[in-house]
Amino acid sequence: MAPTDLQDRAQYLSLALFAQQVVSVLMEYVDENKTQRLKASLKEALDSLDRAEDPASSPRRRASAFGNYEQLRTLDEVWSKKDRAAAIQKMRAILRTPNSSKSKLVADELIRLFSELQNQALWNFEQPKPVSPRVMQRLCQLA
Amino acid sequence: MPVGLADLLHEVAILHRFVDFLDEYCKEQERTQKYADASGIFFEYVENLAAGIKQELPQQIRRASQFPERLPILSSNMRTLKNYLRLLHVLIKPAADAHTLTTPAPLVDLASDQIRSIEAMKESKVVVLLASEFMYFQRPHTEIKIQGWRVGQIIPGAAFPHKLGFIELPYSQGPSFFMNLAIYHELAHFVYEEFSNSSVLHKGFAELKSHTAESLGRALGRISRDHQTFTFVLGIIENWTQEIFCDLFAIRLVGPAFSFSFVEMLGMLDFLSAATTNTFNPTHPAPAFRLTEHVNMLIDDGWWDAISDVNPAPKKILAKLARVPRSKYRFYLDEKEPGPQGLITVFLDVVVPKVRELVREITSRAACSAEQFRKDRKAIQDCLLAGVVPHRADDVPLHPTSIINSAFIFYLTSLPEVIGTFEGEKAKLDVEVYSKWTKRLEMWTMKAIEDSRLHAHFQEMKGDRNGPHKN
Repeated sequence: MAPTDLQDRAQYLSLALFAQQVVSVLMEYVDENKTQRLKASLKEALDSLDRAEDPASSPRRRASAFGNYEQLRTLDEVWSKKDRAAAIQKMRAILRTPNSSKSKLVADELIRLFSELQNQALWNFEQPKPVSPRVMQRLCQLA
Repeated sequence: MPVGLADLLHEVAILHRFVDFLDEYCKEQERTQKYADASGIFFEYVENLAAGIKQELPQQIRRASQFPERLPILSSNMRTLKNYLRLLHVLIKPAADAHTLTTPAPLVDLASDQIRSIEAMKESKVVVLLASEFMYFQRPHTEIKIQGWRVGQIIPGAAFPHKLGFIELPYSQGPSFFMNLAIYHELAHFVYEEFSNSSVLHKGFAELKSHTAESLGRALGRISRDHQTFTFVLGIIENWTQEIFCDLFAIRLVGPAFSFSFVEMLGMLDFLSAATTNTFNPTHPAPAFRLTEHVNMLIDDGWWDAISDVNPAPKKILAKLARVPRSKYRFYLDEKEPGPQGLITVFLDVVVPKVRELVREITSRAACSAEQFRKDRKAIQDCLLAGVVPHRADDVPLHPTSIINSAFIFYLTSLPEVIGTFEGEKAKLDVEVYSKWTKRLEMWTMKAIEDSRLHAHFQEMKGDRNGPHKN
């Protein structure tokens, strides 16, 4: 069950665009000291990561990420549990003290993390994989 | 020049040429063709996006010159944008091909207006696409809209048009009528997307989502703690939910004609073979289940009784598959691998009753009437039998959905009679003549719908003009 049609793998591209949006906002913040879109963007990212921890919950925002299998799998491929916890901690720190110079350093680390997520999503968009054997195995156990 | 800047410049220049072409292509279509409903809005969006991207690209080069350490990120951003344009590219050509000469414009206009009579959809607009694949019931276009919304946050002046939907028709079926009733199912995907992705989630949809997730969690037990498995299975139920929502929505708007068209389509795609009728797959519920729901909805809305005097082949298939007990349904993950049968139980017991309620609530103002059909049917079928466009002698316009259902039943039951009258008895078995008269019948039906809508519009205007005199 590997999708071949461009539109059938569109979830990966949606994730790449989500990551790009976060990265762009963080770059504006670090390089140009612009903060207009920072709060909304980081809050959306935090909500999305919360959702990844509890997929049964309804999204709190329109079009938030990690609501489908493809995006969740990409997240698991590129960020470890430790990375996720670190990303959440860093975003919260920036939201608490956006004017601190230390927050800019933290933002730079976040840029790296979200950039990795974007690149993995782009890779999966180009090279989609079949559903993971682990998931298939679990479903077959229930059959 | 910093290392890597030349490569980025090269990538940016390619992207610039790509958007330039898309921009010119869309402008050219608008100059040379006439389109139904919202294709112009879609082309305008592509033009605005192209302008925004062209404005943004030099900024990216400036940023790369100023912050060379950002070069790899800027390059990824260009790749992401290019891939979004690739997806748009897939839609632009089919949209350009779907002008008024190649599509059933009266049907598209009627269906779009019916959708707009739903309160939350009153500003909706529809783009028709002529697809190269022989397939209706395409995947929804939710992702492209989510992406359009995100790109709108990145590219200035490129907001994705509000409430824009897409429907796809196979290019070979563009001008035909009866088969294209499938567009009601397509439009329902659009409605479902809008309701389930709105910034404030519709109460009924929110309940549906939470009940589904809870029931699924219980059905999967410990396995639901594996988030990937849970999300994958939730996606399957979501696919089934959307499909049955769309079927029931279409029946509410257009009546049994949709079911007949659907059965003919399933037959053409070979989905009515014994091996497939009872099988749920990850993207679609079993045809037998779907047709059972069709029949139940038609009975509840009085349609089944209103067409009790006829028994054409599609109706027989509907009745036959509606008798298949649910214990016969099976779920397969692919051609060979059985999936968890418990999913079917969750779907049938938890999701489907809620979907039925939701469809009734959403279509309360847009639904067609079996009673009106009973009143209009004889006048319509008499006209068709006499070989003229359906109309009424009095000043009351025929209802468009009465025209559609009467004409479809006429097509299924009485076409040989009209062929016999006009072409002679021998011609009744001539395939070419049969095909020619089907086409003629479809043209009369479309003309009757146009006339009826024009007539209703004229009466509305006349009412407005007469208003002050009455006071």
